[in-house]
Amino acid sequence: MARPNANAKLEGIERYRQQVIAHPLARGLSTDEVRDFIAKLPRQRFSRVAYDARGSGPCIQPRGGFPLFEAQYRLTRQLNEAGADFIPLTIDSYTRHNQYETATQLLRRSEDEEKNYLNGYPLVSHGYELTRELYHDILKPISLRHGTPDARLLVEIALASGIVEIEGGGICYCLPYSEGFPLDRSLLYWQYVDRVCALNSTTGAPIHRESFGPLSATLVPPAIAVAIQVIEALLSAEQGVTSFAVSFGQTGSMIQDIATARVLRQLVRHYLDEFGFQGVQTYLVYHQWMGQFSPQREKAAALIAGSSVIASLISADKIVVKTVDEALGVPRAEINAEAVDTVRYMLRTFSCAEPVTSPMIDREVALVESETRSILGSIFDMPGDVFWESVFRAFQSGFLDVPFSPHADNANKLMPMRDANGSIRIFDRGRVPISDEDAQQEKKLLASTDSRSDKTYRQLLADINIMV
Amino acid sequence: MVSINGARVVVGVIGDDIHVVGNRIIQLALEESGLRVFNLRTRNRPEHFCQAALEVNAHAVLVSSLNGEGEYWCSDFRKQFTDIGLGHVLLYVGGNIVVGKRPQEDVIRLFKQYGFDRVYHQQPDISVAIADLQEDMTHGKAKRERET
Repeated sequence: MARPNANAKLEGIERYRQQVIAHPLARGLSTDEVRDFIAKLPRQRFSRVAYDARGSGPCIQPRGGFPLFEAQYRLTRQLNEAGADFIPLTIDSYTRHNQYETATQLLRRSEDEEKNYLNGYPLVSHGYELTRELYHDILKPISLRHGTPDARLLVEIALASGIVEIEGGGICYCLPYSEGFPLDRSLLYWQYVDRVCALNSTTGAPIHRESFGPLSATLVPPAIAVAIQVIEALLSAEQGVTSFAVSFGQTGSMIQDIATARVLRQLVRHYLDEFGFQGVQTYLVYHQWMGQFSPQREKAAALIAGSSVIASLISADKIVVKTVDEALGVPRAEINAEAVDTVRYMLRTFSCAEPVTSPMIDREVALVESETRSILGSIFDMPGDVFWESVFRAFQSGFLDVPFSPHADNANKLMPMRDANGSIRIFDRGRVPISDEDAQQEKKLLASTDSRSDKTYRQLLADINIMV
Repeated sequence: MVSINGARVVVGVIGDDIHVVGNRIIQLALEESGLRVFNLRTRNRPEHFCQAALEVNAHAVLVSSLNGEGEYWCSDFRKQFTDIGLGHVLLYVGGNIVVGKRPQEDVIRLFKQYGFDRVYHQQPDISVAIADLQEDMTHGKAKRERET
């Protein structure tokens, strides 16, 4: 049985790192210099310090990345002044797919024509020396947001730039973002990332890792999201990471959001402790609606306000915010700053001192917890020596199945659907090993739904576009 | 009326487009209408559609594009089919098939020139295409050419 354990650390990491940073775009980066540089960063740049200092409400993090250095410099300061607690650095999609040459060409073109030919900041092309300048006076954590299955070089350069919160993971940055990148390789490359994060951590100032729970952001049942979050926390812990945030995306049902938050918090702590990782500190991040937004700004604003209230209700440690221009494309810096302000206002006006509960929430908690335990139990019981291999095989055998993932290794047998209160139910469990009782319970809850469409596909479309 | 029950349809997204949600919905919708669906999923080149159509002896091919790459990839789509003796296969295209805002009629005319039988630009309801497929297979070009 392949249980997660602390002896699974990647071997020969220093030689391996030398190979990775031999890339010309690493620009002679020295691992010793980087470690010293990180050790001397102001404490406020570390996520753990920011989380510990937060008051009653969740921390706020917008999104944002522009190709040009100057534009990113301005955005960073605008977001800082608008009161963002975490500053994002969103990476362009060529860099995410390791196409550094194309990213560099399009960066030069963007510079020449003063137009954006990239959808984010090409960190590898800009390099660490210049990027350090982006943050020389910033006293907040910088969060690397990308979607990269092979993030080895990117993360070396991010850390060298003073970016000490790294989002991603072998599953969550492969299955929703790639159609053909081999999942086993993604898992191995993220072991590298986790190990390098651990090696650059010091007591009190750990490099922080965060998983991306929304996954495909399309009708993902909570049990699947929670199971994958727990797995990624365990995989990071194996490599020595001590500061980790699990996350999930707004489901579309308040009941289910409250229940998911509760199960996620409990189970990640439970399994980390069970496998000997008591030293890992965990946090909960909530993503505002990640699906299709209405192009109408009033509705988008209402949705952003509503999900801020939910973040309060679940006492999230951080909320990742959207803007009123979500349906229209990459938002301008001012729109992004406005979003931070709106969410700040909502969190202040609608703070929630006590956990909310009800019989319906309790029932949802019991169901999601039972399903998640079944799924994880089946994976822990798989034969084999290494935990990550069991995780890989879990996808091959359909034990883990992410609805609407574009990835070729995803089973696509699980069929989700919404019930009468908007909660995501498992209509067909495919090969996901939840118990017969739980599967029946899911069906029963679905049966209460009125206004079913005559065709499944119409119902699914309506369920996906619930917020439009 | 001839039924489309069991008709073989190749579907997929063209270009480096990775938007898969619509693709899955289309598969479900076609299957619910009784068609046999061969789904190439995302990131396809025209030759992938040709090879698949040949392999399964397809009645129709449905090409999707959400990010607008369709225009770039589709210009010799019909020719590629004709070249390998698949001139009779029905070719449909739909989604957001060009970049930027352009009048419906212009887009439809353009893709008809490329040799597509039906063009659906920014028309969200797949049931229209399914009804057209029924019509084309019963009275349309595909049936005539297959019989000759």
